[in-house]
Amino acid sequence: MKHWKSGKRSAGVVRCAAAKEGVADLSAPRATGVFRLTVLIAALGLALVVMLSGCAGGGEGVTDSAANAEGGKTLRVAMELAYPPFETKDDAGNPEGLAVDFIRDFGAAYGYDVRIENTAWDGLIPSLQSGQADLVISSMTITDERKQSVDFSDPYAMAQLAILANAESGVQSIDDLNQPGKKVAVKTGSTGDVYATKNLPNAEIVRLADESACVTEVVQGKADGFLYDQLTIYRNHAANPDTTEAVFIPFQDPEAWGIAVKKGDTELLDQLNAFIAQSKTDGEFDRLTEKYLAEEKKAFDEYGFKWFFDFE
Amino acid sequence: MVGSLFTVPGDGRVGAAKAALNYLLVCCAVVAVVWASLAMAGISLNFDFVAQYRVRIWDGFCMTVGISAASLVLSMLIGVPVALGQGSRVLPVRYLCDLYVKIIRGTPLIVQVYFFYYIIGTAWGIDNRVVAGIVILSLFSGAYLAEIVRGGLMSIDRGQLEAARAVGFTRAQTLRYVVAPQMVARTLPALTGQVASIIKDSSLLSVIAVIELTQTMREITATNYNFFGGFLLLGALYLVLTLPLMFVSRQFEKRLDYEH
Repeated sequence: MKHWKSGKRSAGVVRCAAAKEGVADLSAPRATGVFRLTVLIAALGLALVVMLSGCAGGGEGVTDSAANAEGGKTLRVAMELAYPPFETKDDAGNPEGLAVDFIRDFGAAYGYDVRIENTAWDGLIPSLQSGQADLVISSMTITDERKQSVDFSDPYAMAQLAILANAESGVQSIDDLNQPGKKVAVKTGSTGDVYATKNLPNAEIVRLADESACVTEVVQGKADGFLYDQLTIYRNHAANPDTTEAVFIPFQDPEAWGIAVKKGDTELLDQLNAFIAQSKTDGEFDRLTEKYLAEEKKAFDEYGFKWFFDFE
Repeated sequence: MVGSLFTVPGDGRVGAAKAALNYLLVCCAVVAVVWASLAMAGISLNFDFVAQYRVRIWDGFCMTVGISAASLVLSMLIGVPVALGQGSRVLPVRYLCDLYVKIIRGTPLIVQVYFFYYIIGTAWGIDNRVVAGIVILSLFSGAYLAEIVRGGLMSIDRGQLEAARAVGFTRAQTLRYVVAPQMVARTLPALTGQVASIIKDSSLLSVIAVIELTQTMREITATNYNFFGGFLLLGALYLVLTLPLMFVSRQFEKRLDYEH
């Protein structure tokens, strides 16, 4: 690593030196000014090279050394690290979260070297189709449409949609949103999008690229409600208590989250299903809940909601 | 000699047939590389969705054209005064124009989109996404236009202005007969290129749910998961708009080149 860095740096110096000669030839009379300028450019160039080589260490693909079993096969896991606490990053930018722990535990159990690839939501299923990832675990609901493109494991969590409503919109149920003139924010392609498209024909649907934009729309009153899972709605309502209301009345069957693999990859799918079945009995999910979601679990119990890992 | 089929002769003139042949050859090579890459990545393209979604795709296409056209006009109205303002004798005006150009050119468009729509737009009551989108894109493009216009102004020799004054031209006459013709000639190629940029940059308005071409395709691929077909078609549709513009830009360059 150190060797490579010094090599890069000297290459930068050589290039700057060449530039200096070229400039000096063109305007010999003002050589001192040009020389000063050249030194400045060289210094800036050097700083840039040093910065870049410093950055090179912290790329997106992070190999998990803890799960680095002897001779283990690499397991390329695609997830969108934008959905705390399931898939997110720690302060240093490394993948962290409930799903990250879960898939690393799977890798450790089955001798895989887990490599996490941060991938935007739209690119998750394509990354399986093009063979750039072996599996996707990204709080993805199992749907018939998605099943046409990928294969899913058994459910590893169950979630309910909820509504984050603008405080002045008067929205108290899903029917209040299905009215002419009501605007519903959804994340493009999410199950909230699918639900709204199918079941809210009277409302205007505003499809946005990320959750924070959806929340902003509701907070500012540009949209009347935002459809997403209960946990996200709970957290965003807690962050904006004055401008939003949370509507937790279930309006559809729970959604089952599954791990997606490339169509026909039955070997990996069997291992995943075995690990999920085992996790339901050996306390893996309780341990993860305790680590990441202790407070939310308490709130969910108070509301009487089903928890993510209540599969019955 | 076979080699002469592929090289520019000494006098620099390339016959139409030869140019067409070579261009075709390059196009074939590009298509072959794309095709081979798709095959190697194991991706099969499917464009069946076009028939199903043709109305939405057409609407999105029209929206992109409309937004771009409106932004072009508005950004001209911003860019030209800003270019002149950068040379103003009133310092606050000069520095305001300068700061505007620096901030816009120094920040990514996506930051500007979010900032203007959710903060400025909300504060000043611009709630219509299309209107907000046009304003944002115009502000963005206006800074680049200002730089193009300023470059054109600076390229006009001071001596010409003195000469115009010497023969008794008024300021208006100087502008009309000396500055304007040269400005048009020198900036037209760059301005045409800027139009192509506006068209491409309008795709970022998809993040505030303006239903233009890119947002339409995102919505479609989100429901049918035909990611590759959708986005390759998207690229092709943008090329339909930008390639002619680039061609026109090149023609302007050639035709107006003689005076340099």
